[in-house]
Amino acid sequence: MVVKTLSSPFGGLVRTRTMIALRLLGSSFPRELSRVLVTPVSAVSRALAGLERDALVAGRLVGRTRVCTLNPAYFAKHQLDAYLSRLADADHELREQTDRLRRRPRRAGKPL
Amino acid sequence: MRLTAKSTLADIALTVGARLQRHGITAVLTGGACVSVYTDGSYVSKDADYVLQGTIRQSDLDTALAALGFARRGDRYVHAVVPFYLEFPPGPLAIGTDIDIQPVEVTVAGGSALLLSPTDSCRDRLAAFYHWQDRQSLSLAVAIARHQAIDLAVIREWSRDEGSGAGYEEFLRELRRDRRANPPERRSRRAGPRKTTASREDTVVGRQHRRRIGLPPHRRR
Repeated sequence: MVVKTLSSPFGGLVRTRTMIALRLLGSSFPRELSRVLVTPVSAVSRALAGLERDALVAGRLVGRTRVCTLNPAYFAKHQLDAYLSRLADADHELREQTDRLRRRPRRAGKPL
Repeated sequence: MRLTAKSTLADIALTVGARLQRHGITAVLTGGACVSVYTDGSYVSKDADYVLQGTIRQSDLDTALAALGFARRGDRYVHAVVPFYLEFPPGPLAIGTDIDIQPVEVTVAGGSALLLSPTDSCRDRLAAFYHWQDRQSLSLAVAIARHQAIDLAVIREWSRDEGSGAGYEEFLRELRRDRRANPPERRSRRAGPRKTTASREDTVVGRQHRRRIGLPPHRRR
């Protein structure tokens, strides 16, 4: 059993860290979130489904990928953004993970 | 009212709303079904979304909807015959950051139902356009404005609060284009210029449709 070192005000640690990750990344998809959170895709997908039901997160299909963001039409969006930013300040591990993520474009065909 | 496979989404949505009211459950119809009501069925959604007000027990909701033939399946209610399903997204009743929403009450066979006003339904679609660049929602907002009187001043102010002044300008451009393509009935000179104030909420274009959905008749000026 993992000792809880962070609070989980959004109902569970995966849910809370998914929210923080989406705040930091702007938008993401289950597999990317799974890498960032070092959590199985199934757990991230479950968390996202619950957060969507609560209208905190909104997802849409882009091709075959479900891209998720914090719900921009959520009635307390500004307050939620501020709160998540503060929570992100406290989660150094997650900040490090997101800082390592390359998201800028790479021209097609360019060697890695 | 008996729901059949031929019932329209608007009829179903309002009948369900009235039934919930009769069971003491306050539910406000929002989303695409609202658009369907206000555009005389020119837009058909697959579901009817209600935002519940207050604390409602799941068993009470099940009982009220079972009386109309709806059964719970997962997080939605389905009907054996009716091709539309019902959903209850979490509250509060809000359009973007605005939570001061006053629903309108319409009379239908078997009671009355609550739904977003035409202006709020228009804002609801515009929220999707502003936040998701969803152009279908923009065209639906225009369609509502074509069929119903809306309060442009309220929409302008709210759009500014949402940080979508440019989106509102685009809505106005689409509205003007739509009015050129579908000119409204010719008005007498004595009637004066058109006003876009809250009082115009009561002056719906389709008189028969107004009567069907239980809104008061058109007031002559």
